[in-house]
Amino acid sequence: MASVELKNVSKRFGSTEVIHGVDLSVADGSFCALLGPSGCGKSTLLRMIAGLEPVTSGTVLIDGADVTQVPPAKRRIAMVFQSYALYPHLTVRGNICFSMSLAGMARAAQNERADVVAKMLQLEPLMERRPAQLSGGQRQRVAIGRALVRDPQVFLFDEPLSNLDAQLRVAMRLELANLHKSLKTTMIYVTHDQVEAMTLADKIVVLDKGRIAQIGTPLALYNTPANKFVASFIGSPAMNFLPASARTGSGKSLLATLAGTASLTLESRKGLPPTNLDTVEIGIRPEHIRLVDPGDPQASLQGATTIVEQLGNTTFVYVDTASGPLIVEAGGAFQIASGSNVGLAIETAHAHVFGADGQAF
Amino acid sequence: MSTTTADATNAPETSYEVLVKTGRQSSRPSGANFLGTLLTVLGALFWIFPIYWALITSFKPEYEVVQPGIRLWPEHFTFENYSFVLLNTKIGLWYFNSLVTSGSVTILVVLMSAMAGYAISQLDFPGRRILWWMILASFMVPIPALIINHYVLMNQFGFVNTWAGVILPQLIAPVTVMIYKQFFDGVPKDFREAAIIDGATELQLLWRLYLPMNMGITTALAIITFIAAWNNFLWPFLVTSSEPMLNISVGIYQVTDAFGVKYARWMATAVLAALPVAALYLIFQRQVTQAIMLTAGIKG
Repeated sequence: MASVELKNVSKRFGSTEVIHGVDLSVADGSFCALLGPSGCGKSTLLRMIAGLEPVTSGTVLIDGADVTQVPPAKRRIAMVFQSYALYPHLTVRGNICFSMSLAGMARAAQNERADVVAKMLQLEPLMERRPAQLSGGQRQRVAIGRALVRDPQVFLFDEPLSNLDAQLRVAMRLELANLHKSLKTTMIYVTHDQVEAMTLADKIVVLDKGRIAQIGTPLALYNTPANKFVASFIGSPAMNFLPASARTGSGKSLLATLAGTASLTLESRKGLPPTNLDTVEIGIRPEHIRLVDPGDPQASLQGATTIVEQLGNTTFVYVDTASGPLIVEAGGAFQIASGSNVGLAIETAHAHVFGADGQAF
Repeated sequence: MSTTTADATNAPETSYEVLVKTGRQSSRPSGANFLGTLLTVLGALFWIFPIYWALITSFKPEYEVVQPGIRLWPEHFTFENYSFVLLNTKIGLWYFNSLVTSGSVTILVVLMSAMAGYAISQLDFPGRRILWWMILASFMVPIPALIINHYVLMNQFGFVNTWAGVILPQLIAPVTVMIYKQFFDGVPKDFREAAIIDGATELQLLWRLYLPMNMGITTALAIITFIAAWNNFLWPFLVTSSEPMLNISVGIYQVTDAFGVKYARWMATAVLAALPVAALYLIFQRQVTQAIMLTAGIKG
């Protein structure tokens, strides 16, 4: 087990800077997810920790030691790739023993360790098969086994579940969570899937265009996003954003006027609103809006329903309003016809205010 | 929509139905198909006739060979030509020389090409691009154009009439390097990176990952290199003159007696020379076809 620390790490490909001076500290034994959309630099960051991508500037520390110039094999890390990268000409045993074989370990010792890992991952009946003869989930487990056998200080996962179908992904997610629980090894996990990040990690790093947009626990990111990017990226369906103009009220309160005539009284999170309050955005999650009668005094906005998605346990209702389209989450048994006029009651206690620069305040 | 209509009218066929349909079509060939088949059969007969002619000539007595007219079957069937070649020439030694030189050429060409192909494909070193262009350019120079230079070099090294003299100039194989480079380029980067994390050195990456993952192409290239080296005549003919150092292809011309050339014996030697290669071809037919397609630029 070891901590991982990045100090002002940046990466440049020619004239393009893809990672901009990232500072990050991953505690010993924690499960950290690097989350972000495609092209945000999360895999590049992981590869720099692994040593597969040279660092343009900055320092990478593992267990307190500077490993910036240390080759990948000597960093005591193990990596599970998105494609699993199982050597197709070797059996499962061959794949698991590959690193030990390269290190010149005796065959008996290799097999002994491979058998321990195989037992842990229930790979015993598959040891003499080749990767082509395995299912996606089995390949995934072999890839984890190959990483486990190296007894690494840090596990690195590069979108390991993205090639699996939805059902298997959930099962493997659970297996990974159990693995972390039993091993207690530091794990850094790259994903673009917020559900994976939210369910597995105890710390999420949201990346946007090579910069850290926010670091926090899953609930902290969900409940108090630092900016519009994180607010829109975390949560499914995404947060609703309503353009508004605001003026300060008493204390931390703000009076926001939405497009149209509606107005809301909100609490500023920091109490220090930016000077320009003419163009702000109010962020509200679908579950914090209630559908009411158009004439209900609680209705801040009126609109007409366009699409109703019934998922059984929940219902998503798309509503066109004067402030733009909104998504509202209602109960699983909720029934409403498309084209119905509705009122929207916004739970202002859960609303977020974002300034013109996209930062929450 | 039109697509839906088309889908509805043309109900999907099972692969079996398609097979049956195709089978029926081929059992009743159209005029063009018939002409195509006829031309193919004529081409095959035209191609196989010299081999047939060599084979039946090797079983004819010499007097029958020199008689005017074409006889498609021997009047007197004889093994005398074979027994003469096997008992009165150094054919065993020529076989051995061919085996050593062709085997060495094969092993060295495959090894060097794999390493060169790997270096150009996977390593980043100064001059890599220039080296690649030089290899490509060398492909444009026909080997016979260099044969005098090769001879002078081998003579200066003292390699005339030696195995080394036969082998060394045959190691120039830019096509093999190119094929390896292309195949190594096609190996997904993840395998390499996984092995690097596992602690593999560049040499281990080549031996334990890239070569085994491309074993099919290695087999194909080895077979075609061996066949080419075995059949090579011009260079071994120039560089070896001492009878114990001859290859089988050159040895054919030594099968003469006081009365000069005996065609039937020549043909018997030629058939014996071709036997190992023919056997090799028959065993590894699929790999040879793959290699020929590759060297012709068709990725099979």
